[in-house]
Amino acid sequence: MRRYRGSVGKGPFGVSIFIALIVLFGFFGIIFSESPSMAAEKKVIVQAMDRDPDILDTMKAAWYSDALIYLHDRLVSRDYNFRYRPGLATSWDVSEDGLMWTFHLKKEVKFHDGTPFTAKDVKWTIDTIKDPKTASPFAGDLKAIDQVKIIDDYTVQMTLKYPFPNLLFNLSNTASGIQKAGCYDEYGEDYGIKTVIGTGPFMFKEWVRGDRIVLVKNPHYNWGPEWMSNQGPPLFDELVIRTIPEESSRIMELLTGGVHVLRDVPPLQVDKLKNNPEINIFTEQSTKLGYLAYACDKKPFDDVLVRRAINHAVDRETIVKYIFSGYATPAYGYLPQALKDEYLEESEELGYKYDPAKAKELLAKAGFPDGFETTLSAENDSTSRRLAEVLQAQLAEIGIRAKIQLFDSASYVAMLKAGQQDLFVRLYSWPNADILDWFLLSSQFPYPNHSRWCDPKTDELINSAATAPTWEERAEKYKEVQRYLIEQAVWCPIYIPDMMLAVRKEVKNFKIHPWMIQYSDGIDIETK
Amino acid sequence: MLRYFARRMTFLALTLLGMTIIIFSMLHLSPGDPIDLIVGPNVTPEVRENIRHQYGLDQPLIVQYLGFMRSLIRGDLGQSIIQHKPVSELIAERFYVTFELSVTALIMSFLIAIPIGIKAALKRNTATDYSLMAASLIGISMPTFWFGLMLLYIVAFKLRLFPISGYGTWKHLFLPALTIGITDAALVARMVRSSMLEVIRQDYIRTARSKGLPERVVINRHALRNALIPIITLLGLRIGWIVGGSVVVEIVFARPGLGRLMVDSILARDYPVVQGTMVVLTTCIILGNLLADVLYAVVDPRIKLR
Repeated sequence: MRRYRGSVGKGPFGVSIFIALIVLFGFFGIIFSESPSMAAEKKVIVQAMDRDPDILDTMKAAWYSDALIYLHDRLVSRDYNFRYRPGLATSWDVSEDGLMWTFHLKKEVKFHDGTPFTAKDVKWTIDTIKDPKTASPFAGDLKAIDQVKIIDDYTVQMTLKYPFPNLLFNLSNTASGIQKAGCYDEYGEDYGIKTVIGTGPFMFKEWVRGDRIVLVKNPHYNWGPEWMSNQGPPLFDELVIRTIPEESSRIMELLTGGVHVLRDVPPLQVDKLKNNPEINIFTEQSTKLGYLAYACDKKPFDDVLVRRAINHAVDRETIVKYIFSGYATPAYGYLPQALKDEYLEESEELGYKYDPAKAKELLAKAGFPDGFETTLSAENDSTSRRLAEVLQAQLAEIGIRAKIQLFDSASYVAMLKAGQQDLFVRLYSWPNADILDWFLLSSQFPYPNHSRWCDPKTDELINSAATAPTWEERAEKYKEVQRYLIEQAVWCPIYIPDMMLAVRKEVKNFKIHPWMIQYSDGIDIETK
Repeated sequence: MLRYFARRMTFLALTLLGMTIIIFSMLHLSPGDPIDLIVGPNVTPEVRENIRHQYGLDQPLIVQYLGFMRSLIRGDLGQSIIQHKPVSELIAERFYVTFELSVTALIMSFLIAIPIGIKAALKRNTATDYSLMAASLIGISMPTFWFGLMLLYIVAFKLRLFPISGYGTWKHLFLPALTIGITDAALVARMVRSSMLEVIRQDYIRTARSKGLPERVVINRHALRNALIPIITLLGLRIGWIVGGSVVVEIVFARPGLGRLMVDSILARDYPVVQGTMVVLTTCIILGNLLADVLYAVVDPRIKLR
């Protein structure tokens, strides 16, 4: 008996393992034989994103992939200081009354399929965005444009319904990338999925849904904006944008070199990455603003004293330090500093500093000496959740007892639209002062005006700013809007997160741009 | 046999019907509107209504449901609201990615589980048995998400033996399949062990031993064959669950599979895609069960399918 024991124990065990190995290797062998040996010396930069786009079409996309920035050019470009500079338009003239804009177009620009770019492409792009049949999410942003007229092949004239200096911003957005006239007729249903045609520095190669978008350099490109050091084709061959939903996987890919560029590095990871000799971290103030808002048409938030009390109750320094590891700036105003022209310098001075005693006093004056009970809603992501918890504790100090409610993003929007919110946490990301129109005009009620702020004075101030004849006057008037919003404590601004990019050392000449990475501006990669 | 299949197919159809009703009502009753994700709030109400009409979302729910069923019967899963493409095409793109992962994981899981289960049964109540079973208990209790990340961290990140994420070669397939394979193996190993123990206690094993057959023959020819019958049927039962359970692994390893398509679509309230993926997943699970029954009849001649 004993004699067999040993061999019996090993018998089936050993045999199965042997079969296991054969089957496994056989199985993999088949796949392995297909795996390509990487072509030598092709220069590829890989960027990771957390999500995949719905479609690669600037006119229809609900969420813009970075790829669209590089596939298309826009009439107006944005330089490293966020100034509006010539793009596909070499220059533009605006009539005295601000209603007639004439754009002079670059010559000898070609689409990726070789067709020359002319005025008809500009007209077609703008007309298609504005056509209700397209159902473009961007249509509203071009509503100031009454009509687009082709003067000659290289001159386009836009007539506006009212003066609108912000047209420069809207024409430099991802959404106004110039498309080839008639691309829908030419490519049908597959446009934006299997084919994308632009004039940009990179050309479309393939999109494997949920996995990667591959762009190749446009070798004929020589019409880059004048503010770039390189107007010619990109210095490297391929730009791959990979979708990696899990944050830890993205970071590990970056550390092992599977990914070279990571946008939106989480603050908790920054210090660790900074100490890594293979990684460079680039930071700059972002054009985002995180804030606590409240339904201003509901009791007790209809009382400005209560709103001010909440503003005084929030300790922004603590939040920045502990939730964002210091990679954020406390916010007191309604626009981020990065909007240099419109930012209100005296925001902090006019705003509400942390002062719980004063907050309690204001609450008592408003008739709530013992505070009140309410709800605090937030989206169920880690930052919002933690922020909500800290806010809950800080508000409790002045007697506001808030119950936290968490939502997924679609339910959150539905909840805000239905007007079920009391206190709620939000973050906007937008590089223009017109974000205030978006959130606070009474015409935007009940959504996106989720703070339910319908106020004739605000409407008047914002409308006057938006339709000011010049950019400078517009900026001044937006400052006026912000002074008024601070006085009324319409929101409780909390923080401006830093924009943080992690880039591997082998990527050369990387420069941070306030809007989007400029891959064609001399960025290169060293191959090992 | 034929009658058996006819009955099972009716059952399949009924289950699918029930599932579509539940999924349909749950989806449409939960808050959120896909139109918000397509056009955002800054468009005129007419544009919104146009799109709503285009996708039939302005119809009463019951009409929408009947429309969905009518197309489903014709094999048409409808059009994705968010991704501007037919649902069947989106599923076809993703199905292979998940299928390849599930099959590999299943093979791995059985190849790991069967030897461990047998070993544990033969060494019953010894230190080997206890440690193997303790390990499998840990395996069952480990969340796939955490285990996947740990494998990723150690094998791919520290040892750099495999790529971290993505899709394409066998190297990309190995770690995700191992994650599911090991967690699933833990469960299967315990079943193999108990099945083996049961068989070893049978009279015919005692007879075989008393005949003086070498222990190797007793185990391989008499015990193992019989012990594997319930295990083989497990194969059919597990495949469905593995397909459904691959969601988490697909997120950790960034594989563009069916599970991720489903989660993304739920978050975006892309009703047709969620319904379509659910129909496919449910069908997989039911077919897996059917396969289990058939396998049972094949490996055990005493069982007749009626």
